[in-house]
Amino acid sequence: MSSPRKLVRQTLTIARRDFVATVMTPMFLLFLLAPLLFASFGAVGGIGAATVGRSTEDKERIYAIAAPADAARLMAADRMIRPAVKRDDGFPPLATVAPTGDPAAQARKLLSDPDTDVPAVLYGPLDKPQLIHANPTSTTASYMAALAEQAVRDQRAGLTGPLSTPTFTRVERSTTSLGGKSAAGFFAVVTLFIVTLMLAGQAVGTMAEERSNKVIEVLAAAVPLESVFLGKLVGMFGVAVLFLAFWATIGANIGTLLPPELAAGLGRISPAVGFPTFVALYVAYFTMAYMLLGSVFLTIGAQATTPREIQMLTLPITIFQMAMFGFALAAVSKPGSWIATAAELFPFSSPFAMVARAATGAELWPHLAAIAWQLLWVSVTIALGARLFRRGVLQSAGPKFRWKRLLGR
Amino acid sequence: MHTDKLALSATGLVKRFGDRRVVDGIDLTVPTGAVYGVLGPNGAGKTTTLRMLLGIIEPDEGTRTLLGESSPREASDRVGYLPEERGLYPGMKAREAIAFMGALRGLDWSVGRKRAATMLEEAGLGHAVDQKIRKLSKGMAQFVQLLGSVVHRPDFLVLDEPFSGLDPVNQERLEALIRAERDRGATILFSTHVMAHAERLCDRLAIIAGGKRRFEGTVDDARGMLPMKAHYVPHHPAPGIAALLPVDAEQDDGTRGGGWRFTLPPEGIEGILVKLIDAGYGISGLSIERPGLHDAFVRIVGEQALEQAA
Repeated sequence: MSSPRKLVRQTLTIARRDFVATVMTPMFLLFLLAPLLFASFGAVGGIGAATVGRSTEDKERIYAIAAPADAARLMAADRMIRPAVKRDDGFPPLATVAPTGDPAAQARKLLSDPDTDVPAVLYGPLDKPQLIHANPTSTTASYMAALAEQAVRDQRAGLTGPLSTPTFTRVERSTTSLGGKSAAGFFAVVTLFIVTLMLAGQAVGTMAEERSNKVIEVLAAAVPLESVFLGKLVGMFGVAVLFLAFWATIGANIGTLLPPELAAGLGRISPAVGFPTFVALYVAYFTMAYMLLGSVFLTIGAQATTPREIQMLTLPITIFQMAMFGFALAAVSKPGSWIATAAELFPFSSPFAMVARAATGAELWPHLAAIAWQLLWVSVTIALGARLFRRGVLQSAGPKFRWKRLLGR
Repeated sequence: MHTDKLALSATGLVKRFGDRRVVDGIDLTVPTGAVYGVLGPNGAGKTTTLRMLLGIIEPDEGTRTLLGESSPREASDRVGYLPEERGLYPGMKAREAIAFMGALRGLDWSVGRKRAATMLEEAGLGHAVDQKIRKLSKGMAQFVQLLGSVVHRPDFLVLDEPFSGLDPVNQERLEALIRAERDRGATILFSTHVMAHAERLCDRLAIIAGGKRRFEGTVDDARGMLPMKAHYVPHHPAPGIAALLPVDAEQDDGTRGGGWRFTLPPEGIEGILVKLIDAGYGISGLSIERPGLHDAFVRIVGEQALEQAA
């Protein structure tokens, strides 16, 4: 058998063993359903947070200390302006209180009410309103100032109601909005990062098994360690593909189960290159990111002799990867900027930045160039990783590590 | 010896770990079809030598040819190997473990599974075919690994301390397996420090100590390095008898009839016997003892230790 064929055969033998050993265990089911557990915990946390939020929401007020006529004008202005503010970013309900004695002291007392959250209080004449507020970054006081302005304008113009009768008609855009592209980019970077980190991280512990069982000597005698390295990478990649395929199938069908508003919202998240191309590019970039990160993790795992060492060695890589994630997110928010270009060129952030680019830009040639560039780096990482791997797994009986030896061989 | 009849030849193998020469210029030639033993005390460099011969690690100096290939890796599919540190995946079934080891050497998985079942049956381990390795005893697991190293019917089989950890029954099984592999035509190289196995099995052997090859030849050659011993029991024991015996003569502790043991002189024993009879001691018993491999090993390794101490 020719050497390349032999290498492929040996690699696939190792890959098959690792794939079967990983997938055919009850633990894999737990791993497969991990996102569900993750989402469940997230949902429980979200419900809890929302409940806490609602419980305080009912006790939030903004107060205007005003005479009855001014109070009525403020309420009318509030009814007109409030619908334009999204509920999530909305302001607490407006309550009016008649002035008694010293309005400034009355306002301070209301702001400090222990039973109600009062972010801002307005008092004084509406053309010269006084506003006190607790949170320096809150816009609630500005909202109340806008209400006073509107109330004064209504009074001076002698208006008692709206002058216009708007008609709202929803029309679907024929092109993807910038927001939709950006959201798609953000979604792609986040999901790619999470799945890569989660799945490539699996590679770090795979050598521990061979070390503890002393199988590595059997493998090293039968096949080149480069095949062991590649086989483990391919085997775990197979596990990753299975994981992704499972969740992609669920994801593709989950739209029918979502509420129409949410489904419509998701429908507006649309990549610039179109969905089929985007999916193909996503898979390609996932492969590149996995191979880059997986080979680094596998190399690290081979150097460690104990789980503690693995953890210690993994941490800097995870931090590095987090930095790459931040780098790619910066690229999403500023497409075409120097930071986006840098993120697209740097090998370890390139898959993330380029998947974001697929969401925000329609050109295809940069992706072909990027995949070629990343393939080059995947080859470099695997070649270097395999050399370090050889040194790492045979260190029990090998000479001391020397960079010259490593690079010279 | 013609090189085309050699399954393995190695010249001047050197391996340094740091500043220490763990293997220091070892030459080995293993004829095709032979059972070849590599003997040596602990830390002699046996395992490192075997690892270099198989290409697991590269020598710092020297060359080796395995089954006609200058790179042992090229011959890996025709080689079987049982490492000193046994290792199997505990979650694998015995049949799968054997088939996997065959697959690593190019044997089709399905063929490997069938052969594994047959081999396990023949070895009396039929009940373990579908048992996971973690459920097997240490000796059984070791035997499964041994079967895994021969399932692809290798031309060259390397066993590193194969008898270590096996009970007498499994040691017998292993000896039978080695003989069966030799009869099939395989060349077998194994390391051990148990002389009895080497004496029974080896066509040729090398003794390694301190990283150097101290001896190479047949078991008889090794024994021949030491002179034969005579064991003499006088008919009338008396204190003056020692004066008539060679200077290295030592008296038994009484368990063997109160006799004397001494090295057979090169000119023969007749002259000594005549003197003993003439002096009236008589002969109650006389035997000529051939030194064992154990004695040869102890002497060779002892010489190396003295050499190192000097």
